[in-house]
Amino acid sequence: MKFAPKLAVSAIAGVALGLFATWATVIHGPGPDALADGPWRTSLTIGSAKSGPYTRASVAIHGLLALNRSETIYYTAFTDSSGAALDGACTYDIVGHDPDARWWSITAYGADDYLIPNPVDRYSISKNSVLRASDGSFSASVGSAAHVQNWIPTTREPFSLTLRLYNPGASVQSEPAQASLPVIVKEACS
Amino acid sequence: MRVRAWSAWMASTLAVAALVHVGSLYALPYLVMHRAWSLMGDRNTMHHGARADANSRMIVRPSPDLLYSTCPYDLSKGPLEVRATIPHDTYWSVSAFDDDTNNWYVLDDRQTEHSKLDLVVQSPDHDKEVAATEHRLVVTSPTRRGLILIRTLINDDDRLDAIDRTRRLATCGLLPAGQ
Repeated sequence: MKFAPKLAVSAIAGVALGLFATWATVIHGPGPDALADGPWRTSLTIGSAKSGPYTRASVAIHGLLALNRSETIYYTAFTDSSGAALDGACTYDIVGHDPDARWWSITAYGADDYLIPNPVDRYSISKNSVLRASDGSFSASVGSAAHVQNWIPTTREPFSLTLRLYNPGASVQSEPAQASLPVIVKEACS
Repeated sequence: MRVRAWSAWMASTLAVAALVHVGSLYALPYLVMHRAWSLMGDRNTMHHGARADANSRMIVRPSPDLLYSTCPYDLSKGPLEVRATIPHDTYWSVSAFDDDTNNWYVLDDRQTEHSKLDLVVQSPDHDKEVAATEHRLVVTSPTRRGLILIRTLINDDDRLDAIDRTRRLATCGLLPAGQ
């Protein structure tokens, strides 16, 4: 092969490889500095000018306009507590107590990072809306089977859950990987 | 000779890949922010979005429990003034983002006793400092372009109309000359 065609092939292959690396590490992958607390993952540098290029790019794609951790800590779950990927064909129970924060919510998002269409326009549970047992604990269902209360509807597509902690407590701020967060338990699949 | 030539081509391909990867990594936040900034409407104007639902497609992962008001700013013609009524019976915050997505400022309802916000945002290359007062906060944006975002929590669905009316009092615009 002559020099010019070889150069073109090399350049095209390099561009393709470089873009694939960005896609694989940012658009389709977790941030490199992510912390895990059970199925919940977070990064200490979300929203911060101190974040690295991978975290900043990942936040731009999956969580644009996120606040920094002094104001809000965002956890996202792509799996249940056993490590299996969240699947819209299954139903899950989210079980736990109120996390240590002034206000919290758990919201379901589709693979496109937007709210999931459903006939009752319900997308989340929160500190204000969740119904608790007498001991303060709560259990909420996630799935397509309708429930009257404590229900986050999903479709049969893959989805993820975001847990927002606004004005997080000191214990969560200092040790976000040790926070007491709800568990996600798979109940059944159809 | 052939092995050496093949290695050289591989090395050049990998070098291009590395450059493209790093370049796209750094460009991505700026491009995403610029797109959002362009889609949000008039510059230096507060836009009060409807409560997020499945039709909300401008910003990823919106919270359906918050009301968002946004002001895409451009400080090339002078400082920006943001005014708002601060509710003290629900979570409220005003935050600012530079053109590379960084959250460089945030103030929430628990961090101020005032019921009104008067926030002046200066350009990083401003030539005259705006004076802060007891009732006026003055901050300097790291970039000329950016975004102000006000979040108001809907802590009671029955109070949605009242919460919405209060947050719609928020405005932003160029600071009048002489102030």
